[in-house]
Amino acid sequence: MTLPEPVETTSSPLYMNYTYVAGTGRSVFLRGLNERRLLARHCPGCSLVYAPAPEFCSRCLRPVGPPFELPGTGEVSTFCVVNFPFPGQVYEPPYVVAHIMLDGAHNRLMHLVREVAPEEVTIGLRVEPVWVDDDELDTSTTSIRYFRPIGRPTRDVAAVPYAQTPIGPADA
Amino acid sequence: MSLSAPYTIEFPFRRTVGPKIGTFLAGLREARLFGVRTARGVLCPPLEFDPVDGAATGELVELEPVGTVTTWTWVPARPGDPVAHDFAWALIAIDGTVGALFHCVDVGGDQDQIKTGLRVRAKWRPDRSGDLRDLWCFEAEAP
Repeated sequence: MTLPEPVETTSSPLYMNYTYVAGTGRSVFLRGLNERRLLARHCPGCSLVYAPAPEFCSRCLRPVGPPFELPGTGEVSTFCVVNFPFPGQVYEPPYVVAHIMLDGAHNRLMHLVREVAPEEVTIGLRVEPVWVDDDELDTSTTSIRYFRPIGRPTRDVAAVPYAQTPIGPADA
Repeated sequence: MSLSAPYTIEFPFRRTVGPKIGTFLAGLREARLFGVRTARGVLCPPLEFDPVDGAATGELVELEPVGTVTTWTWVPARPGDPVAHDFAWALIAIDGTVGALFHCVDVGGDQDQIKTGLRVRAKWRPDRSGDLRDLWCFEAEAP
C-alpha cells in the first residue's frame, strides 16, 4: 500500500452569520448617534446614569427614565493598545481602543482614541467625540469616527463616581 | 421598536496537523479513507496519540469507506452545509474500526430514511483538496 504525502495544514475556519438585536433600550442610544447626540437615561431607583442605556437598570431592575442629552465629553477609564494585525482590520496598528466614561454617565462606552500617540494615552485622559460627515451618520457607534484628547487628566481616577453611588432602590 | 442588524464573524485561520492526520487528509484528496492502529483497534478519523493511554498511534491502514450510523440528529439545511436539503449529522462507525467519524448523512431530505444502524457509504467530491470537505457526505448503501 502506498501512503499519500501528508498535508501540513488544514483550514480551521469559524464563520457565522447572525442578527444582532439591540433591544428597545439600546436602540434609543443608537438612534441618538444618528443625530450626533449622546443620549443617557437615569435609573429612578438607584440614581445610576447609563450611556449607553439598557431598558432596565442592571442593579435594581427598574425601567430606566426618559433619555436626555450629554455634552459628549468624557474620559478614558481604561484602554489597550492594539499591536497585532488581523484580517479585516480597519486601522493600521498600533492604535488605541478605550473604555470611555462620558461626563454625566456612570457606565462606559468602548471606542477608538486617535489624534494622539498610543504612548501618550493615559487613564483619566479627557476626550471628545469626532463625528462622521452627515452622509455617513447611522444608528451605530460608527457615527463617532473616534474620540480625541481635549486635555490632561483632571481628577483622581480612583474616585470613580459609580463607586460612590449607593446600591439599591432610593426608597428602600 | 428595537434596531437589528446582520453581523458576520469570521476567523479565517489555517492550523498545522500532525503526520497521521496529514496523511488522512491527503488520502481524502485521493478519495481514500485511512485509519490508524492503536492497542484497542483502528481509529478513524486517526489521531497522533491515543486519547485513552496517551501512547503514540501506530501504522496507517486503508479502510473501505463504509460504515454504520450509531447516532444522528436531523437538521434543516442552511447556507454552507454539505448538502442543499435537510439532512442528518451523524456518528458513523467505519467498518473495522473502534469509535466513530462525525459527518453528514444525506438521505434525500426524508427524515424517515435515517435511523441508527443504517449502512452508509462515503460520497466524494469531484474537486478535492486534502480537506475533510473532500468527503462530501455519506449516503445509504443500496440494500
